[in-house]
Order: sequence, then structure tokens, then C-alpha cells
Amino acid sequence: MTATLAPTHPTDPGSGGTLAEPLPPRPGAFARYVRETALLVGRSLRTIPRVPERLSDVTIQPIIFTLLFLYVFGSAIHIPGMRYQDYLLPGLIGQSLAFGIIGAGVATANDFSTGVVDRFRSLPVNPLSVISAQVIGQILEQVLGLVIVLSIGLALGWRPDLDLGGAAALAGLVLLGLFAFTWFGVLLGMLIGNADAMQGIGFAVVFPLSFLAGTFVPIAGMKAVPRAIGEWDPLAAFVAGVRELCTGVGAHGSWQLEHPIPAMVGWCALIIAVCVPLALRRFRRAD
Amino acid sequence: MTPHPTATPDLAVTTDGLTKRFGDFTAVDHIDLEVRAGTVVSLLGPNGAGKTTTVRMLATLTAPTSGTATVLGHDVATDGDAVRSLISLTGQFAALEDNLTGRENLVLMARLRGYRRPAALRVADALIDRFDIGEFRDKLVKDVSGGQRRRVDLAASLVTPPKLLVLDEPTTGLDPRSRQVVWATINELVAEGVTLLLTTQYLDEADALADHIVLIDHGQAVASGTPSDLKARIGDLRVDVVTVDAADVGALVTALAPTFDVTVAPTGRMVSIPAPEEAADLARVATAVRASGIAVDEVALRRPTLDDAFLALTGQPATDPDADPTGSTPSLELAS
Repeated sequence: MTATLAPTHPTDPGSGGTLAEPLPPRPGAFARYVRETALLVGRSLRTIPRVPERLSDVTIQPIIFTLLFLYVFGSAIHIPGMRYQDYLLPGLIGQSLAFGIIGAGVATANDFSTGVVDRFRSLPVNPLSVISAQVIGQILEQVLGLVIVLSIGLALGWRPDLDLGGAAALAGLVLLGLFAFTWFGVLLGMLIGNADAMQGIGFAVVFPLSFLAGTFVPIAGMKAVPRAIGEWDPLAAFVAGVRELCTGVGAHGSWQLEHPIPAMVGWCALIIAVCVPLALRRFRRAD
Repeated sequence: MTPHPTATPDLAVTTDGLTKRFGDFTAVDHIDLEVRAGTVVSLLGPNGAGKTTTVRMLATLTAPTSGTATVLGHDVATDGDAVRSLISLTGQFAALEDNLTGRENLVLMARLRGYRRPAALRVADALIDRFDIGEFRDKLVKDVSGGQRRRVDLAASLVTPPKLLVLDEPTTGLDPRSRQVVWATINELVAEGVTLLLTTQYLDEADALADHIVLIDHGQAVASGTPSDLKARIGDLRVDVVTVDAADVGALVTALAPTFDVTVAPTGRMVSIPAPEEAADLARVATAVRASGIAVDEVALRRPTLDDAFLALTGQPATDPDADPTGSTPSLELAS
């Protein structure tokens, strides 16, 4: 311990040679943005193996929900004209996206409260790089979670009725949803600014909404109040859209449930149009 | 308010009426500051005095509510990118990534500063040698000791040679030995001619490291001067006398005042007397106390604290929330 704490007293003045390393010429703004974003995404990915428990939200949790609903609650749920696997998986995809809001918020709040974001902001780095890296890192984590959900679903008998065009539409819809929900989560994380509070608020709001969205049981069978909420829950449009793509069976009730894909695109466009500028402004607003 | 010669190249920092309000709370209240290139200036004050907010404004992390700040000729409000490329800061608000190793952190900082990977590795390894980080360079930052972490922190702020180094409370929370190590490192940097703006809550730290000290309280600069100026005004060592009964303080002051320069501490049972002659003064005070016949718990010689400095220089304890330093903002012209 003594040895570690002993200060070095560099004897040669060349120790200042540390500082003599010449900086390469500064590339253009866009090249810098891409480079900085890649470096910062790299930083996020590199930390994942060091804190594997942080990934449990997108790995263990969806596995538990899949098994729980398929084999425990699912045995009591009968969806007319459909196997429960085929009903459940679109719901699980939707729920993963919703939980992604919490994940993105917690990670953002954490970065902001530990000061590491301030360190990046104090460097001559484009603020947009820092926030882009946050969003991209979160989307990559969510994609990993979705791959797990889809794989376990396929392994347990989920058979989506998708042709190539349908699969592309599904991928597009999911990525659009991921992009919108992640920005929403990043904005919430910045506004709340505390990882524990973000977790708490996330579970108090997102968790119930993710259950009311026709995720596990049809909205049509719910009591009046949850049904009213579920019929206009943005996530319900998403789940209904994915379900319609995968099974060809539509939902009924509100306009958004009967036109889930345009509704979902509309919701995402709205969320992006509101959250992206607010998040950028919040990030740039220096205080 | 005299206009600051912002174009003067030997001024690393100038602020003019720099103010930051958060809602109704004024964190920084019209601070005028000058840091001459090649000097070490310390902002000294208690928690919540506005030191960190001041430094955050200079580092472009927080926008001033009013007033201006210029760092190396660049306005922090309009020319933030230029400021960020010339300064480097470390401290309580600019942290490392906990889940990377010390070396990975240094490489990342070097690459974000613009070095390509091979050069970034050379820069990181040179800093690892220089700050004696080798032994724990491959440990995750969250697993190293506080002192080791500060060294990585300091190294991270030096991946490119900053024209101005800003250290926010570099030793707060460190054990005394780690503190010495950080001081030694800072002294080396200063010997190399780095311009340093340092915030601290510790009088001895400001004394040991700074050429010029600015006392900050409630967002205002309440006093400033060289360490020897301030010490001359505070008194170096002090004798504290604590009475058994708070009611006796008045009698004790009456007994001692003719001979000594007595200050009554806000705690109520203690009086404090400058002791430039140290043990001799202690003996004189002890004799006078015994002669007064007043029962005391303690007569002790001790180093002045931040509170003493505030009491001596402003007449107000630093921790008193109602303190209202009414004196006009002192001149912060720096002694060279």
C-alpha cells in the first residue's frame, strides 16, 4: 500500500514528453461526430461484461415473463381462434419495448448523476455525440433483449405467419418503436436525474401500462376503466400492430386498435417529435 | 466596475459580475475574478458556498445567469468549444467511468481529445508512468482506493496539456496520506508552470498550494489575498478557551480583553485568541484564565480553521445561513 501511494518524482524533464504527443489535425464536424459517437458507444458496450447484472432487465426478465405467462397464467387464458404462444409473443415484444423506457431512463439518470457525462461535456466533444451514444447503446441492449424474447418464443412454439414483406414490416415497426421509446426513456432519465427515482417512477407508470395494452389478455375483456386506458395506451397500438402482422387477426375497440399500424407510426412520430428536441435541449441547457 | 482587459494574454480567467441563480437561490452572486497565467488561485469556502457552480460556469457546464466569464480570451457563453479545448478539469462533478479500468479511461479520454488509438495508448501509458498508476492500471476504477482514483482523475485531465487546469475539491474525502500524494502531484504540475484554479474547503490546502486565495461564501467573494496576507489577518495559531458554563463567557472576555484580542465563537462557550508566539501565548492565556478564577474545560493551542478565517476576515462564521457579508465586493486584483 505504501508503494502504491508513493508519488513519482520524474527525474527527467522529459516526463512532460507525455504532453508532447502531437494531436492529429481535427477532422470535419460530421467525421468528428461519427468518431466520438462510436467511441462513446464503445465505452457503453465495454462496460456490459463488467456489470452483467445490468443486462438482467433485457435477458433474465423477459425469459421469466415468457415462461410465467406461457406455462403458469397462460393455462387459464383462452384466446378464441389462436394458440396462446401466438397471442403472447407480440405482447412480450411490446412489453420489452416498454421496459426499455425504464432501462434507458435508469442508465441515463445514472450517467448524469455520477458525473461521467459532465466529464464528456467538459471535453471538446459535440454534445450530440454524447446523447447519440446513449441512445444507440440503449437500442443495442434492447435489440439483444428482443433477440432473446424471439428466440425463446420460437423455441417454445411461437409460429408467426410472416412472409418476407411482413417480416420487414415487423422489423421496421419494432425499430421505430425502439427508437421512439428509447428517446422517451433518455429524456425521462435526464429530467428525473436519479436512477432509483427513475426505477420507481418507471415501475409505477410503465409497468401497469404495459399490462393494460392487450399484452397478455385481450383488452375487450377488461373492466370499463382499464379497458378505456388500454384502448388508448400507445403500447396497445404497438402490440395490436405486431399481432396483426404476425397472425393476421386484428383487434377491436378503439380506432387505434382497429388501425394499429398507422396508429403506432403516428404515436412514434409524436413521441420522437416531442422527445428528441426536448432531450437535446435539456442536454445542451447547461445547468 | 472597471472593465477587465480581456485581451491581455497573461490572464487565464477573468469574470465580471458572474452570477448564477437557480430559481430563487443565488448560488453565485456577482463574482469578479482574475487568474493570471502561470499562477495558482484557490477558491476557498465551505460546502454550498458557490465554488463548484463558479467552476462549472468556467468549464461551460453551466450557463451564467448574468455577468461574463472569459477563459484564455474566449467567452464561456459564446465560444464554449474553444474553452473546452484549452482547459481541463477534474473533481467532484467530472468523474471517471467506474466500470472501465484506469488505463481504459485514460485511453478513452485521449481518443475523445482527438488522438488516434496508437497515440492514445502512448499518451495513456506515459501518464500511467508519471502518476504511478501502473500497479492498478488494469483494475476497474470502482475497485481502486479513493487516492488512486484521484490520481487517475488527475491524469485524465492531462491527456492534452491544458492551458488552464481546474481542480474542484481534489482532496475532499481523501485520507491524509492520499491527500499528501495528490498535493505532491499538484505541486509538480505547478512547478511545470500549469495555470491552476483550485477549489477547496481546507484552509491548509489553499495555503499549501495557492499563490492567491479567494474566500467565497454565499456565492460572494468575501475576501482575497495571498496566503501570507490572509494568515497575517487571521493569525497563524490560536488559543481556544472553553468555559464550563456558557454564562461565564462574558466574564472571561472581560478578564482577557485588556490583554488579548478576544473573539467569541458562535458556539457560545468558547473564546479564541490569536497566538503568533504559539506556546508562549498559550502559557500567557492559561495564566490569565487561572487568575480570573473562571472554571474552564479546555485551554488549547490549535491551527486556524476555515471558520476562524471567515470570522477573522468577515466577522461572520462561514456556516451561519443568515450571514450577510455586507462589505462591497473586495478587489480581486492578484498579487503577482
